[in-house]
Amino acid sequence: MSVVEPLDAASQLAARLAGWLPGQRWFGAKGREIAGVVPVAATLLYEADDPEPARLDHVLLEVSYADSAVRQCYQVLVGYRRELPERLEHVRIGELAEAGNWRVAFDGLWDGELAGALLRLMVSGAERGSLRFHMEEGVSINARGGDTSPSQPGGFAGLPARVMDAEQSNTSVVYGETAILKLFRRIAPGHNPDLEVARALRRVACQHVPTLLGDITGRLGAEPKVPTPSVPDARDPAPSPVSYAMLTAYAVNSADGWSMAAASVRDLMAEQDLRADEVGGDFAAEAHRLGEAVATVHADLARALGTGTVDAAGLVTMADRMRARVTSATVVVPELGPYQEALLAAYDALTTATTPVPAQRIHGDLHLGQVLRTPTGWLLIDFEGEPILPLAERVRMDSPLRDVAGMLRSFDYAAAHLLVAEESDAQLRFRTEEWIDRNRDAFCSGYAAVAGYDPRDETVLLRAYELDKAVYETVYETRNRPHWLPIPLDSIARITS
Amino acid sequence: MADRTEDLQGSHVADGQVVHPTAEDFRHASVLPVDPLWFKRSVYYEVLVRAFYDSTADGTGDLRGLAEKLDYLDWLGVDCLWLPPFYDSPLRDGGYDISDFYRVLPEYGTVSDFVLLLDEAHKRGIRVITDLVMNHTSDQHPWFQESRHDPTGRYGDYYVWSDTDSRYPDARVIFVDTEESNWTFDPVRRQFYWHRFFSHQPDLNYDNPVVQEEMLAVIRFWLDLGIDGFRLDAVPYLFERDDTNCENLPETHAFLRRVRKVVDDEFPGRVLLAEANQWPSDVVAYFGDEDVGGDECHMAFHFPLMPRIFMAVRRESRFPVSEILGQTPRIPNGCQWGIFLRNHDELTLEMVTDEERDYMYTEYAKDPRMRANIGIRRRLASLLENDRNQLELFTALLLSLPGSPLLYYGDEIGMGDNIWLGDRDGVRTPMQWDPDRNAGFSHANPGRLYLPVIMDPIYGYQAVNVEAQLNSSTSLLHWTRRMIEVRKRHSAFSLGSFHDLGGSNPSVLSYVREYTDPDQTTPDVVLCVNNLSRFPQPIELNLRQWEGHVPVELTGRVPFPAVGELPYLLTLPGHAFYWFQLSSREEAAS
Repeated sequence: MSVVEPLDAASQLAARLAGWLPGQRWFGAKGREIAGVVPVAATLLYEADDPEPARLDHVLLEVSYADSAVRQCYQVLVGYRRELPERLEHVRIGELAEAGNWRVAFDGLWDGELAGALLRLMVSGAERGSLRFHMEEGVSINARGGDTSPSQPGGFAGLPARVMDAEQSNTSVVYGETAILKLFRRIAPGHNPDLEVARALRRVACQHVPTLLGDITGRLGAEPKVPTPSVPDARDPAPSPVSYAMLTAYAVNSADGWSMAAASVRDLMAEQDLRADEVGGDFAAEAHRLGEAVATVHADLARALGTGTVDAAGLVTMADRMRARVTSATVVVPELGPYQEALLAAYDALTTATTPVPAQRIHGDLHLGQVLRTPTGWLLIDFEGEPILPLAERVRMDSPLRDVAGMLRSFDYAAAHLLVAEESDAQLRFRTEEWIDRNRDAFCSGYAAVAGYDPRDETVLLRAYELDKAVYETVYETRNRPHWLPIPLDSIARITS
Repeated sequence: MADRTEDLQGSHVADGQVVHPTAEDFRHASVLPVDPLWFKRSVYYEVLVRAFYDSTADGTGDLRGLAEKLDYLDWLGVDCLWLPPFYDSPLRDGGYDISDFYRVLPEYGTVSDFVLLLDEAHKRGIRVITDLVMNHTSDQHPWFQESRHDPTGRYGDYYVWSDTDSRYPDARVIFVDTEESNWTFDPVRRQFYWHRFFSHQPDLNYDNPVVQEEMLAVIRFWLDLGIDGFRLDAVPYLFERDDTNCENLPETHAFLRRVRKVVDDEFPGRVLLAEANQWPSDVVAYFGDEDVGGDECHMAFHFPLMPRIFMAVRRESRFPVSEILGQTPRIPNGCQWGIFLRNHDELTLEMVTDEERDYMYTEYAKDPRMRANIGIRRRLASLLENDRNQLELFTALLLSLPGSPLLYYGDEIGMGDNIWLGDRDGVRTPMQWDPDRNAGFSHANPGRLYLPVIMDPIYGYQAVNVEAQLNSSTSLLHWTRRMIEVRKRHSAFSLGSFHDLGGSNPSVLSYVREYTDPDQTTPDVVLCVNNLSRFPQPIELNLRQWEGHVPVELTGRVPFPAVGELPYLLTLPGHAFYWFQLSSREEAAS
């Protein structure tokens, strides 16, 4: 077997990677001209001869752009094989010259053997270079990588790995029906909030999130020559901790809230003579339970990560930010013009609050696509916060009403999106609004039943959050899906009327 | 051999002693070969003797009439008949108030008629089980009459008597609509007697060993005649103990084990079915010890599944079904669930946990359409508004979910009900055989029928009857028969494991049933995909475990594209379903 240093191999591939990255769904800088791709760290994770030579390297790529001096760091797990099976052709990256067993490089996550190796590294608590593979205490995936529960006979063999290819910014590998490994593609210094929250919620045994099973972490900017991770490299005094991946329990037999709600709305649309509470597809009971689940998670987050307040000055800052968003949004979305005054008034009302607003860690980007219905109830996923915000803002304490508002906005979308392509039909519109009202109420009642206060009573704050989110949506829709613009616009009209 | 008079007489009282007939007084039916798995493989058919066929032109169906129609049931593919009680009874509780365990209700015929039915059924390979009410008798039963008149006599201790009505305060009243207490004062004996159900149904005293022997004698009597098993009615209540709710007591389980031992030792191959309208996690106790494959009842009905199927289709969401099956515990390997869509009873919410009852009310009973029809006292076809697609979907679910399916008489032709008849009679009208007078059920004067036949324009006997559907190959009857036939080709349906496949589309319920016959090397794997929505739906299934296998559709044997590495995409029309066998490529090619 020829020896190829991981970093040498990755460097050989640099040009190919520069061409390969923009084609990846998770690559966040599509359309920007790449000035260069430099592998800054590479670590051998796995190597085997049997049945065929195969190898997996962890590679960090520093990407620079023509339009900015700011560089981005991406994580790629590069697999190497002598020949690439046909089913992996779609993830081919390129070839190494004269590398024998390691001739072909590809995205290793799609290779069942290599993805399985990642899980085994975690199970054994391995360290490779600056990477640490870690399982949470008491997790019952046995050493073969198999779940010990009787529903999964066959151990590791019964846990085929498969990539879920639907995500925007991450890549997830599902192991059997037991665990899901989420790989963060874009790597930034600091702990990933999703991982941090999952660990905190595990500590308080939260029932409404997938249980954290383990993680892959490391340090950025420090690649010690001798792998003694407890002693940072003396030449680099400030290696920054970094999160590479998190392993959570896989929500078997689940469906996301968006498809659940859409099924209900579809049913209503087909029954023009029945009210939202009369059709078989009524979603209110689910919305109620969803409200309970969100409130429970909020309580658990407060318990695990503490609480604070937003004082009067904080509210002023918040209102300023919202006002600024309206101003800049109106430039992009002239249709906001008629509502500008009402919007600003709604934000002004924020600054008249006399008591501080309770704050805590929240989900930050809650909507129906971030909740899963499982046979035993609702789960909340993806606690990364609003992805467009800088890390510091994503982990800041905020009012839980922001999450409530996010979900309420999502009800609007679920109800209205089926109609966007059609001529306006007054009857259907009326039914749609009925659906929205009914499920908003059910969600808030469920929330109130657990939280001890009703979000609907917090009129000023809830309204401001909802409007702020809707204004953001008008910009997003104008840029990405102009035909969906009426959805947030109609909501703004309704809320401000 | 009994003559006609003796046959009709049943038990009688002589010198203060209740004298019962013995099995030796009667001819015995032929017995089918012992098959330890028959109850798991069977398709059951609940038939009311009163409602099926009248051989005597008196307006009421009878045992000989039922025997005359066995060829039809054999043709349909029925393996086992379940007859609700046909014993002598004042009929104040649909025959569940038995006044003589050794006598057939005269309008149904005689014990000899029953033996004839049993014999004819066995000739066709059809088995017969019936209800046995263990917990109580009618207050007209001679045991109770003797007991109330002679407290110190032979029968004085056959029932649960007390000077006060205050004992066992934790036992709930089950029929809250009609009963105020579990105790009723008897003016003859001047004591209170215990009854968990109606006050005209006193509970037997199982602490009296003689009572236990009496009931074992009843069981032996019918098993000697050749019956294939019993559905034991109201089993959780046999014993009473202070400071308990008097349900599911260890003493009750001990007695059931005793009954089971009698069956196993003396009548191998016969089965016991528990009637316990409870949550599956509680019902499993009635299967007995898992380590020995179960040592109490062989079967029990899975009650909560039925309303969940209705709920799931109404909601267009698989979760009500996935949830309840996920909560259903494993059962001993010698046991089986019985599942049904409709039976002669209404849906009751008794004996479920408070939490589950709340769930049922919010999810199900609150739905005005369901409440209007109440689910519940109606037949399958009328519940589904005669929608053929839904009738097929529901029947396909019944025939493919884990458990032995029970069909309710008439549902195979899509019979309707008559909501203007009182109580539960609306779903107990005469079987509709043909478009002639009385729907071909009886030659009696129509006014003499025990209940009028269904006559409305949609479900009336002139539109819906066996004869017409036999003559049309596209009828629901022919379809049902074909699906039963397909089910029987694959042991996975009756014996296989169950694996819910989930999937990203919540409106699609899909699962895999898998069974490896000890004599075969390759497992029988069946994939069932059900669209619970009225709209066409796509579904991507994770079938990685069967990569390279070819799904072969079971009704037409059409091979579908092989399972690859990617999720397997299927599209289904509204309320459609698929049954596939997952065959290895070699199997599919051959």
